[in-house]
Amino acid sequence: MDIFLQIVINALIAGSLYGLVAASFSLIYSTNRFAHFAHGGVIISSGYFLFWLTNTLQLNLLLSAILTVVFAGLLGVCLNLFVYLPLRKRDASNSILLIASVVTLTIMQSVLTLLFGSSIKSFNYPGLHEPMGFLGAYMTPIQIVIVLSAIAMVTLLSIFLKKARLGKTLRAVAENPKLAETIGISTVSTYNWSFFIGSALGGVAAIFIALEQNLLPSMGIGLVIKGFAGAVIGGLGSVTGAVYGSLIIGAAENIGVWFFPSGYKDAITYVLLFVFLLVRPSGLFSKRNA
Amino acid sequence: MEAYFLSLLILVTIYWIFSLSLQVSLGFAGFLNFGHIAFIAIGAYASSLLSKVGVPFGLSILLGATISMMFGYLVALPCRRLKGDYLALITLGFSLIVFVVALNWAGLTGGPAGLADIPSPQLFGISLASNSHFLVFSFFVSLCTYLIIKRLSATPFGTALQAARDDELGTQVLGISTFKLITVSFALSAFFAGLGGGLFAHYITFIDPSLFTLSQFIPILAIVILGGLTSLEGTLLATVVVVLLPEPLRFLSLSSSVIGPARELSYSLLLLILLVLQPRGFYGKIRLK
Repeated sequence: MDIFLQIVINALIAGSLYGLVAASFSLIYSTNRFAHFAHGGVIISSGYFLFWLTNTLQLNLLLSAILTVVFAGLLGVCLNLFVYLPLRKRDASNSILLIASVVTLTIMQSVLTLLFGSSIKSFNYPGLHEPMGFLGAYMTPIQIVIVLSAIAMVTLLSIFLKKARLGKTLRAVAENPKLAETIGISTVSTYNWSFFIGSALGGVAAIFIALEQNLLPSMGIGLVIKGFAGAVIGGLGSVTGAVYGSLIIGAAENIGVWFFPSGYKDAITYVLLFVFLLVRPSGLFSKRNA
Repeated sequence: MEAYFLSLLILVTIYWIFSLSLQVSLGFAGFLNFGHIAFIAIGAYASSLLSKVGVPFGLSILLGATISMMFGYLVALPCRRLKGDYLALITLGFSLIVFVVALNWAGLTGGPAGLADIPSPQLFGISLASNSHFLVFSFFVSLCTYLIIKRLSATPFGTALQAARDDELGTQVLGISTFKLITVSFALSAFFAGLGGGLFAHYITFIDPSLFTLSQFIPILAIVILGGLTSLEGTLLATVVVVLLPEPLRFLSLSSSVIGPARELSYSLLLLILLVLQPRGFYGKIRLK
């Protein structure tokens, strides 16, 4: 029973982390309509930014975390302005934007390797990783923060998309960019906003990933694929669907490590994704076709 | 100095095979294939393992390519119902699966330490251990790959494949199964990638998982975009350019921990600049959707 509860808790923690990645990826994807793979690079760069603030500049963790979120948002906007916008101006197709996003990801990965080296960077906050008993299972303080923040962030994002003016604008551009332009919405500034909000949310994920899993320059691609996979399994275009999909991935990984060595954890996700795309490509909670 | 030029020429022939095979899936079929490096890895690992248990060199690289081809067919299966972004996602996911397996199945692949002492190639009793002999052979293989792909592109299969890329519905209306075209072309692409991988492994005689990551795929993608999609001659020119591009880095006395990422950075930047300035490359005629 305790083991079962521990698996549920671990699945919930992993699902919350991936859910933040998936929700942020999904927000950018649905507004911009292409797969922004460099989102993984934004997340991992933000993780390194946090590392630089806390370890090199010795700033306190809370202030560093806030700065990291702002940094992530601005980095996302910069990518949009300096990579995607020039391509869109040249009428680049979706495939070209997608290739450019993968290349941007590898550029960030190489730059991070040049700046920080290719070895693992870890954070030293022992208090955050002190296991606490919880109904016979264990959770660390940072894990509790991760789960609560993920729930709060996703709820806020859903409310924002439904109620706020900017949220409605984002959805309008996602639904029909040309129609949105005719009623006076600037798609260019909407794209920028979606990159800012999506990337800042990715920055929140970056903080937790950095504190919970440590950092490697090559982590970006795996993260964005898991985020994309969560969004696809849940049904692309819906933020809550992306979170459900991520919970399924978190559960699959944590059940899988009982049957396979833990090194295969990532492979489990990708096999699950493959099966899903073969059997139900439109995802669990979406009526839209792939 | 001569040895240096020979090794560069061998790399050109091997990268030409890598990029010609990518032309089949990305260029002719228009299939966003980001998993190409995984098929190279499968060919490299399979042929090396076969050689190590005593299978003759020629047979082992052909078998390696065949195994890679079977995986290629498997990966293409979900494409019946999927388009663009999803194909990129599936192929990227597949390349990560192969990487994870290569890293963790230590009993078979040697894990992070990789496979060492891959037997140096021999063909009909002639040793190809010297670089000049190997170059003759790898040039022969790359030329065969070029001629076969060139020939295939002009057959009804090749024409139908390109028709399916440009207008899927229109091709289906003619009674042609686009699903079959795409899966077969993807398997072919994987076959030649596996062949190149086998050749590569036997040339460097040591492989480990770090040779088969996304970063190693970028130069191959850069070759195909620079040469122009479906332009096989442009691909040769681009291969020479891309293989030579980071060579000046070798002469700046940089430490090896800087050279690796600097090389990768130079390829990624080249590709990004190309995409912004000249997405159709030297001789490209087609546009990806």
